[in-house]
Amino acid sequence: MARDFDVVVIGAGVAGAMTAYRLAQDGARVLMLEAGSRNPARAQMVGAYATAAAKTLHSPYGNPETDSMAPSPDSSASYYDQPPAPHTQYKSTYERRTGGSTWHWLGHTPRMLRSDFKMKTLYGGSRDFPPGMVDWPITYDDLEPWYCEAEHEMGVAGSDAEWDGLSGSPRSKPFPMSMIWPSYSDDWIAQRINGKKFQGTEYLVRSTPSARNSQLYDGRPPCAGNSICVPLCPIGAKYDGAVHVAKATAAGAALWEQCVVNKLDQDADGSVHTIHFVTYGGVQQTVTANLVVIAAHAIETPKLLLMSGIANSSGAVGRYLMDHLSKSVFGLAPDKLFPFRGPPSTSGLESFRDGDFRKRRAGFRVSLNNDGWSRKGAPYAEIIDLVGNQKKIGAELQAALFERVTRQVRLSCSVEVAPDFNNQVQLSGTTDALNIPHPKITFMPPDYSYRGLSQATKTMADMLRLLGATGVDLGSDDKAYDGAGHIMGTCRMGDNPKTSVVDAQCRTHDHRNVFIVGSAVFPTVGSPNPTLTLAALALRAAKDIARQLGAKPSSAKSSGGAKPKGPRR
Amino acid sequence: MNKPQKVSGKPRKVGSRSDLLKLLCEAAELEHGIACSYLYAGFSLKRELAEGGMTWQEQQTVRRWASQIYFIASQEMLHLALVWNLTTAIGGTPYYLRPNFPQASKYYPLNAALALEPFGPSSLRRFIQYERPQSVKPERNLKSLLTVAGEDAAEIEFSSIGELYALIESGFRGIGEQELFIGSPDQQMTPALIHFPNIVAVTNQASAVKAIETITHQGEGTRIDRDDSHFGAFVAMLKELLDSKSRGAGFAPARPAMVNPSSGLGLGYGASANAIDEPRAQQAAGLFDSAYSLMLRMLAWSFQVENSGIEAQVKEFCAVAIDFMPRVILPLGEGLMLMPAGKKYPGKTAGPGFGLTRHVMLPGEAKNARKLCGERLQELAEIAAALLENPLPEPVARSCTHLQQIASHF
Repeated sequence: MARDFDVVVIGAGVAGAMTAYRLAQDGARVLMLEAGSRNPARAQMVGAYATAAAKTLHSPYGNPETDSMAPSPDSSASYYDQPPAPHTQYKSTYERRTGGSTWHWLGHTPRMLRSDFKMKTLYGGSRDFPPGMVDWPITYDDLEPWYCEAEHEMGVAGSDAEWDGLSGSPRSKPFPMSMIWPSYSDDWIAQRINGKKFQGTEYLVRSTPSARNSQLYDGRPPCAGNSICVPLCPIGAKYDGAVHVAKATAAGAALWEQCVVNKLDQDADGSVHTIHFVTYGGVQQTVTANLVVIAAHAIETPKLLLMSGIANSSGAVGRYLMDHLSKSVFGLAPDKLFPFRGPPSTSGLESFRDGDFRKRRAGFRVSLNNDGWSRKGAPYAEIIDLVGNQKKIGAELQAALFERVTRQVRLSCSVEVAPDFNNQVQLSGTTDALNIPHPKITFMPPDYSYRGLSQATKTMADMLRLLGATGVDLGSDDKAYDGAGHIMGTCRMGDNPKTSVVDAQCRTHDHRNVFIVGSAVFPTVGSPNPTLTLAALALRAAKDIARQLGAKPSSAKSSGGAKPKGPRR
Repeated sequence: MNKPQKVSGKPRKVGSRSDLLKLLCEAAELEHGIACSYLYAGFSLKRELAEGGMTWQEQQTVRRWASQIYFIASQEMLHLALVWNLTTAIGGTPYYLRPNFPQASKYYPLNAALALEPFGPSSLRRFIQYERPQSVKPERNLKSLLTVAGEDAAEIEFSSIGELYALIESGFRGIGEQELFIGSPDQQMTPALIHFPNIVAVTNQASAVKAIETITHQGEGTRIDRDDSHFGAFVAMLKELLDSKSRGAGFAPARPAMVNPSSGLGLGYGASANAIDEPRAQQAAGLFDSAYSLMLRMLAWSFQVENSGIEAQVKEFCAVAIDFMPRVILPLGEGLMLMPAGKKYPGKTAGPGFGLTRHVMLPGEAKNARKLCGERLQELAEIAAALLENPLPEPVARSCTHLQQIASHF
């Protein structure tokens, strides 16, 4: 039977676009279906952000059509259906847009450590070790070549000397670009803490690998230090998924935007070939494919599976929702460190990510940030205080502002969240404008992760002490956390079809022709930012998908069927 | 100064330290001069919409061009630093002199003049010539891009800087390692001493080749035509500029800066430089030359001395010199292009001449070198204070204030 496409990829973010690109390069007839759109264009978004009264993640991305017809937690505060505070909240959000949430990511690309793939084997057994913590079905060595591929595709800048062999995790190839240079404050902090120890662990500041050009790369300019990577790089020096959307379409893939997939049909033989979607105009239609790749991030992906009633014989779809617990601490350095220059963070500490302590508490990364106290409203809050309370104006105001803002320091942590069966995405009873259910979210950080958060706070407090910081603000609530924007889990990878959703190749156990790419498949998360790992997994899956397509040649190709030109609006 | 030996023509054998040092001096001169030429174009790009000639959307493009040009210039500075490490590794001293602008097209084997010219098709075409790889993809259609209606459409022929670095590399590979590397490893500049994280310490043949590869991969010595090289960036910029201009008549991204300015005649500038004709701009341009010269001397000293035992002073000199770049040189250079050039140049603004005027080299003895620098910094701070007594464009005033701050902390 001739089908419209060899492969339909649902979601044109980084994972979907890289998969589509590789498959299109292999000659497959690929369609990307994207709920959002590519508009507004970058220049318009720069203008929108510059003129926005409130600077939020969504400020540049406002698009009345998408915000109304394909809302997201970025565009709508009520998008998540979750119990109100004081119940613990899931705080990370995402954008529905061509290129995905990489548009507003920070761009950090540390790899997972060798041990992150073997948590249960290495650290399991104690009463404090979370029952949901498992080994991945693949190892660091399995993924290492794909990390190199992903770094090449995205354009990662990093220091080989600092990262090769970190915690027993070697690199087989150098970074494509030399590191983004550490900021002045990074060096200043390193001089004061490197070599010192906190509870036996040595401080060592390292540059953070980033998908941010440190030179001309892949037709994109080097970082110019605009400092607004989050929410938007104004010049495209920071990688985003739109890069591979463009590469995929140049390689022959089709892209249909503003098409919201709302159901997948399962055939009698268990395969899935029919994809139902609705346009913003409300036109419900279908497209068929030999193979389906779901790349709709870790909340829309399980939502679609639950709406379709597929891939869930394990009962694990939507389960084990994770993030990283993030927390910022603040202080004033004795010297001027001149924040707000360069990317918001260029260095961090990796020493606290791994160790025997992971038998009872989570590991974490610490980031040194170049954005002063902007998380607390700087510099506007200082101006309001200096003018309103201290009655300073003119040169006196300028001098006081300079004195205060240039000494601001922010440290932040990213704490591993253990997988917990009860943290999950379900279908809400409320729906959006296209009658598609909102995600219902249940999330409570495990004690294992709270213990990691507590240790991270103590560590950062010690760092501020070593820096001689004054005006220290560690926050008043030990359990307060922010979202890291790292939405992971919900379709975990594993060898056992009874407890996991996809196998080691990202293929669903239940449907041989359905693959899931993205951070949804992470069984555990360690403490690094997830995008490089999900990109590596997507590239690895693309090879397996291509192999599967090759093993069974496309009937559309063999019948010479013409692919549809586009959806009816 | 003797005319440098041409590197084009028949292959030459680099068989002695002396040959190699001469070639390294030529490379240093070129990297240095090209960096100044790029900086001048970068300074000329408008920042504010109030300057006119661009919409806010076009402003995004102009700022992107500026950041790319500054980035490329910074890589040229890294190249100069690498050439200095190569030089000291084989017993030479860092060479930072160069003839003042403009330099005739025949002075170097590039067959392209080194000049200070604001951003535009003409300067970009020159930059493309500097950076042209040994082979260019035919689809570039380079000849038509480098040719403007009414201008000489003859084939442009020149020897590449890549050839120069190939000769230098052959010298490092051909001369016996033990015989060649007589410089003290303590003279090598490392990231621990200067905020140049990509600098390579040169102590043997392998590290010398690595340093040369860093230069040729990034920039003007590249052998193949890559979009990600300096050449590729300038070609893309020129195409974008020509496309923008063809779409709308009102787009004017650059300030109307004069060509090859000098802060005054008889101060080491050649007769073909154009003396700024407005006293205050002349003073500011003079301050620029002096600050630039002091910055170079402090850097060269830091690359020259054996740093063991005087690391703190080497770090301090490097930190001050690096601090000069964004806080003094950049705003002063940009600000000069907001000051009228004088009656002789109607409608034109001034610019920095990057004048290397007569000065004394810093002594090897650390204490005396510091004293000389301290005194000179104080003198420059006084000149800055005098300038600040009158209204100045904001960037010039900011630069003067920064200079005073740096001097007061030294």
